[in-house]
Amino acid sequence: MKYPTKLPRGGVNPPSETLVPPESGIANAAVPLRALIPLLQHSGKPAICLVKPGDRVGEGMLIGKADGSRSANVHASIPGIVVEVRDHCLPDGEVCTAVAIELGGEFETSGRPRQPREWEKLSRLDLLDRIRAAGVVGLGGASLPTHLKLAVTPGSSSSILVANGVESEPSLCADAAILREKASEIVEGLRICQTLLTPARTVIALGEDSAGLVHELEDLIRLKGMKGEVAVLPSRYPHGHEQLVLSAVGGGDGAAATVVNVATLYAVFEAVVLDKPLIERVLTVTGSPLLHPRNLKVRIGTRIGDLLDECGGLAPGPVKIVMGGPMRGVSVDSLDVPVTKGTSGIVAFAGAAARQAAELPCIRCGSCIEACPWDLVPTRLFKLIRLGDAAAAEREGLSKCTECGCCAYACPSRIPLVAVLRDGKRALRGTDA
Amino acid sequence: MPDRETRGGAAPLSLMPAPHLGVGMSTVRMTWLVSLSLLPAAAWGVFLFGSPALIVLAFSIGAAAAAELAATLPFGRFTLRDGSAVLTGCIVGLLMPPGVPAWVPAAASAFGILVVKQTFGGLGRNWMNPAMGGVVFALLSWPGLLSQWIAPRGGAGEAAALPPLEVLRAALSSSGSTGGTPLAILARAGYPFSDLDAQVLGWINAHLPAPLGTALQPGTFDVLAGHVAGGIGTVSAPLLMLGAWFLLSRGIVRWHLPVLYVGTFGVLTAVFGGLGTGQGLLAGGPGFHLLSGSIVLGAFFAAPDPVTSPLTDRGRCIFGIGLGGLTFFLRFFGSLGDGVAASIVLGNCAAPLLDRWTSRRIIGDAHGRAV
Repeated sequence: MKYPTKLPRGGVNPPSETLVPPESGIANAAVPLRALIPLLQHSGKPAICLVKPGDRVGEGMLIGKADGSRSANVHASIPGIVVEVRDHCLPDGEVCTAVAIELGGEFETSGRPRQPREWEKLSRLDLLDRIRAAGVVGLGGASLPTHLKLAVTPGSSSSILVANGVESEPSLCADAAILREKASEIVEGLRICQTLLTPARTVIALGEDSAGLVHELEDLIRLKGMKGEVAVLPSRYPHGHEQLVLSAVGGGDGAAATVVNVATLYAVFEAVVLDKPLIERVLTVTGSPLLHPRNLKVRIGTRIGDLLDECGGLAPGPVKIVMGGPMRGVSVDSLDVPVTKGTSGIVAFAGAAARQAAELPCIRCGSCIEACPWDLVPTRLFKLIRLGDAAAAEREGLSKCTECGCCAYACPSRIPLVAVLRDGKRALRGTDA
Repeated sequence: MPDRETRGGAAPLSLMPAPHLGVGMSTVRMTWLVSLSLLPAAAWGVFLFGSPALIVLAFSIGAAAAAELAATLPFGRFTLRDGSAVLTGCIVGLLMPPGVPAWVPAAASAFGILVVKQTFGGLGRNWMNPAMGGVVFALLSWPGLLSQWIAPRGGAGEAAALPPLEVLRAALSSSGSTGGTPLAILARAGYPFSDLDAQVLGWINAHLPAPLGTALQPGTFDVLAGHVAGGIGTVSAPLLMLGAWFLLSRGIVRWHLPVLYVGTFGVLTAVFGGLGTGQGLLAGGPGFHLLSGSIVLGAFFAAPDPVTSPLTDRGRCIFGIGLGGLTFFLRFFGSLGDGVAASIVLGNCAAPLLDRWTSRRIIGDAHGRAV
């Protein structure tokens, strides 16, 4: 086990809202009677719709074809009949086509053992094609099509491949759960990536809460005859961020580096070895209003309201539902929003946490500066943007902001710093155009 | 938008920008907790000096609150609940001598709130600490009224109605009496310490082996415990330290600034403080000077005011060291009170400059980081 030498600065340590029992496994969510599958679930162009209302689709059938290389395939997550193809507004405001499928017909693959396929003899291009065809995207949050990440020029001697098992957000623990249950498959997925990239170094980065898995993972690496290390990083948000993980394991100096989330590695394994498209994912459903928070394996397109019901349901009264984690997630105005490939969690808030706190004046306490992992001075950027001078904020590093939310979390005056900084970026884009 | 419907009958889901978590401490709580942490010292002052002290505090806090209301209510804002005006009134009152006419602290508070704070836009936008600004305003306007002291309860009667620090300064400037620690000079000047002081020190000197064969000097107990004449809230350094410990432990005040302030002042006093008494170097009696006057209140409660101190820890370190030096200089060579309020006000002027020097530079970073 290797501890990182270079710890990133900044960050915050929110008390974890994780109410999921630490050693609990992954439960299968009920198969939805109706799935609403948006054709934009990745960064890039939306997929092209291949079905029309009335069509019968099988489980895992291609319903959206990638539109060019910076796009990803979308598959039917349940068998049944297409009942609707229409415009759908995603939680972040983008509008795309979505396919509604009503459950019916036979499950052709679920519950049946799959024959592992040979993959070692495949060419690079064939391997990449299997990953691309299965519609695998980064499951850690960014949703970049994975074949793009793995298609970089192989063999550059300074390259490093990192399996990111550090939880991306506080309160979420699906990555740890999938590491516990699918360690062997994840390491096999890592081996596939290694074959594609031939990196000089391979590191599995774990959060402190997964430190118990170090020996198991090291054994797996040895059994498979791979070269690789396991590093344990202190749990501190946002240190699961790609760049921070990289710099913590000593690969952040501009060398060719690829970071792949562990859940994505599992999807790579399923795509390449089991010939299974990405039609389900593991996510954490948690929050104080829920009776039974847990990690669920969910079909893409499942209504989040159904998942909340499965975890004990919501009490009446003001509630806030966040898709993603508590620091970067998007609050939604309906329980009918479907789970997509990028949904890493669903967090429910009740009481005071569900209300917007009143904003007070900045008292120049400097907490935001302490918290910023990117060496920015958020209070100054905020004041410049509120004064209407986004260009000056840009000169002070606005574009380095990743909207991790640490500054706004740390602010005792509850200034919505992230929202203001985002406004500033929008204003800049407006002037550029 | 299709497929948008709220939960049947239940309250709609709330929408707000990320992050959805916030740190436990809020500006409002922070401000009120600072006031709360001053309570032990204030209670001691009221116990020691009686109703005049209570009246001074009531007037300073009342005037601060009234001024805040007068400046904000016409604009439809109610900012009293953020606690900053009450805190300003508290600090002004605690720095006052108990015998001062009640309109003086009221005027100081009102000046601090109206001129120093609200003319610049209220909480967060003032560049000078309102309480310190108000106190300096009063010191410059009515120096005579600000030296109306009251003898402490249980002290040596009316003879003890002057703070030891004032007597020490008078003794040094008038007679040029030389030699000895501050307490020794006070003893020669005939400063009346309390019977309690004599009893406690007598017992300690009799029962505990003193280091290096020295006995504790008369007045040690009175000065340490704050059982002397002085400012209402500044006489008891231990009770102020209790409040300061609370603020430090809750992370409301970061240690850099106050510790460096007190430390710098202490070191300078220890090294050079004896020059005036003819003792030469390294004989300044820093303990006496740290316990007398308002340095503990200034260093832990007024100087770390985030609004008027630098933004970064690096800036705050320099700020603290600078204030320590300034306070030493003003106390030993100045005439404006004990030098604390004046040096904090001067330091506030330099805070923006320190920000400029110590802020991280993203572009063209001289340290090669984060470019």
